[in-house]
Amino acid sequence: MDYPESHKKIVEELLEGKFILSREEHYNEIKENEEFYVSFFKASFGHELQITNEFVRLVSEETDEKLSRDVSIFFAILCYELDKQGKNFLDTLQYSEFSMDEINSLFEESSWIDLVHSNKHLKDSDARKRFIFSSMAKRNIIDKIADERFGFTAAYKVFMEYAKDLAQKTLEDKRSQISS
Amino acid sequence: MIKAEPKTILYFIWNYFDVVRDLFDTQSKEGIIRKEVLEVILEKGKKDIKTQFLEYKILRKVNDDYELRDVYYKLVEFILVEFRPLLPEEIEKFGTSISELFRKITEGINEDKNILIERLRGLSSQIKEFTESVEKNSIRLLNETRELKSNVNQIDYRDKIQKASFWIQYYINPLNSILDVNHSESITNKLLDVSGFANQKRLSITDETVRQLFEQLYFQLIQSNDDLLRQSKLLTNELLPLIERIRTESLILTGWIEFLRSPDKVSPPSLLKTRNDNPYSTRAYLNAKEYFEQFITQEDAVIENDEENHERWVFNRTFYRQRLAESLPVENFFDWCNSELGSNGGEMSNEKVFALTSLLFDGDVEVVSASDGSSMQIVTGTSRLFVPKLNLKKNGLP
Repeated sequence: MDYPESHKKIVEELLEGKFILSREEHYNEIKENEEFYVSFFKASFGHELQITNEFVRLVSEETDEKLSRDVSIFFAILCYELDKQGKNFLDTLQYSEFSMDEINSLFEESSWIDLVHSNKHLKDSDARKRFIFSSMAKRNIIDKIADERFGFTAAYKVFMEYAKDLAQKTLEDKRSQISS
Repeated sequence: MIKAEPKTILYFIWNYFDVVRDLFDTQSKEGIIRKEVLEVILEKGKKDIKTQFLEYKILRKVNDDYELRDVYYKLVEFILVEFRPLLPEEIEKFGTSISELFRKITEGINEDKNILIERLRGLSSQIKEFTESVEKNSIRLLNETRELKSNVNQIDYRDKIQKASFWIQYYINPLNSILDVNHSESITNKLLDVSGFANQKRLSITDETVRQLFEQLYFQLIQSNDDLLRQSKLLTNELLPLIERIRTESLILTGWIEFLRSPDKVSPPSLLKTRNDNPYSTRAYLNAKEYFEQFITQEDAVIENDEENHERWVFNRTFYRQRLAESLPVENFFDWCNSELGSNGGEMSNEKVFALTSLLFDGDVEVVSASDGSSMQIVTGTSRLFVPKLNLKKNGLP
């Protein structure tokens, strides 16, 4: 059987938990062989392949809960603080570049400061830089632009969807509490 | 008087915390715990513990109803971070007591030392209470405003604005005046005066106890001022612009606020767990531990005292020198040693042989080794010594 040209790269990167972005060449190879890759990852590893117009990633019950929680806290505080500044946080996440100074100032001035200081990955500027430029970059959640500058890839949308679902669930719970 | 042990009371609270929490919630909402409500709460937990609540003085009877004693109410409030919003008047009272104590301290600085000490302690305690009250109030106001922003109760826009205006008018604005450093009458400003005075006195006052109290007060104020500045920033950046902030609503932000309230209680989004390929086995540590543990001596080492008392042998050089002189000429020196040491009793030892050997180096004897170069063996308690046969004669004699 002939495998797609970047097969090894595709398998390796996806198993490393990376988001393969639509601008990357091997994204198209996955799209062209969508059926094959969906069944390949299901049969070989039991993982679901999530393909959107912007990225491909593997989803599994074997989830890195700790990292995911810390990334979620990061996005939650960032969105909250951007909104506090009167910015449209979704537009800012999608189109803006961020400097570490800006991020540090937002986190240090945040009213969620107790949560920031108690989080190993967010507690100070060094920890935050490591977290963004190593842990998040490794998964393609951010694009490194310069030593101290970065932007978000479309991977941030996974976290925004999560927040939306959580809000909907909370609202439904409230509604059912009131009606009962 | 409480008969129960303190640990028994704490264990009771720990064990029935759900009931304590229900009582706390009831009192927070209704100001009192009605007799019937108490029965319902206890019945819900199927607990017959009313007697203990009263005996341990956790609950107090108020006519036919009950209330949590203040100390327990504040404890639960603190643990749950659910503070009652304080009216500005409840915080402003600290301003009065701080001013009054400060005035008396400055005026009576040269008067009775004991009352000065008590006033300094009182002032420190009032400042502590004031800072804590401001912090607790900020937390509560922050929670209220976050709730308005997240709007999970789906209040319509008009009601939301009304609520926000209420918080701003009666709580946030007055608290801001209390903390505003530019306002000459603000408590923060009074604290700056106290801080300046304490700084001056901690360096100039001669009485060591009083000086130390001024120093403690000064460092306490540095911390308090930092805390209050942080609360003031919070008010300016987040609470005062509340109306502006609640104009927009976002489902995503609602989700994030709910998430941040208790991030450990909800499952985060799925993110694939990667398999780490370690250059060594993941069980390397345990394997190494197991390997080394097999060499650990499990038997206890016991140090036993010597039961036999050996009399310490002391080399009497003069005595043996004389004995040797009397025996000269000697055919075989080490035979002579054997017989000398043997005749004086005791065990033959290396120490004794070497001590006697030192006699060979005295100038009184001439030492000649046996012509055939033969040697002999001396057996001591610990060794076999191979020594040459030595012939000794008096120095200068043929």
